[in-house]
Amino acid sequence: MRFMVIVKANEDTDGKGPSAELLAEMGKFNEEMVKAGILLAAEGLAPSSEGARVVFDGKATPQVVDGPFTESKELVGGFWILQCRDRDECIEWIKRMPNPGGEHGEVEIRRVAEASDLENMTPEVAELEGRLRAQIAGEA
Amino acid sequence: MRFLVMVKSNAETEGGIGPTTEDLTAMSRFNEQLSADGRIVFAEGLTPSREGVRVVFDGDAEPKVIDGPFAETKELIAGVWLLNGESLEDVVELMKRTPCTDPQGGVMEIRPISE
Repeated sequence: MRFMVIVKANEDTDGKGPSAELLAEMGKFNEEMVKAGILLAAEGLAPSSEGARVVFDGKATPQVVDGPFTESKELVGGFWILQCRDRDECIEWIKRMPNPGGEHGEVEIRRVAEASDLENMTPEVAELEGRLRAQIAGEA
Repeated sequence: MRFLVMVKSNAETEGGIGPTTEDLTAMSRFNEQLSADGRIVFAEGLTPSREGVRVVFDGDAEPKVIDGPFAETKELIAGVWLLNGESLEDVVELMKRTPCTDPQGGVMEIRPISE
């Protein structure tokens, strides 16, 4: 099973880069996950001031709203995609993630949908999806 | 540059009501075009937050685990793309063309990846 682990940002961390200590500890933690064969992707996001939201409301032209989005409680700071046996294994890994400052922090773990989760998948779409995934994997 | 595009949840995605065959087809075609243009690093959908958990850290205490579902439907993430783009504007223009957006209103957040 694959899980997307979403690390939340807050007003303090959105805009500030990680400390040298956190970077070093995160590097080690990522290395451990690579060795365990579970790390599929790991990325940090630039501050929300560099981002935008596109708002669709059924009108022809979607609206674009520029960041920052510090009012948001659900601001994302970074993420991992992990391949784990089950949710519990993923939780156990994430409990050990570095938090050198001992700060309050929140991480959300969500299972990634697989083709078998989509009840309206047709053989045609499944074939196209499979081709796309192979093509994307080939480029990576 | 690379960008994370996050599609926010709505009642249907949180309710586990999957996309229709028509929407799946339209989205696959859109992804096919993005892929042909060398844009996609990955594209994934997430299952409803009821299958998820939050891990809360506070000082040295053992982290707390809170089971989903989570109430902030419109702030939750339903799916993501990681895309290659020239600039934020470039990716915004690209994503304005996303098919099958919710006519009731939908939000997508686009954030550059730190390099």
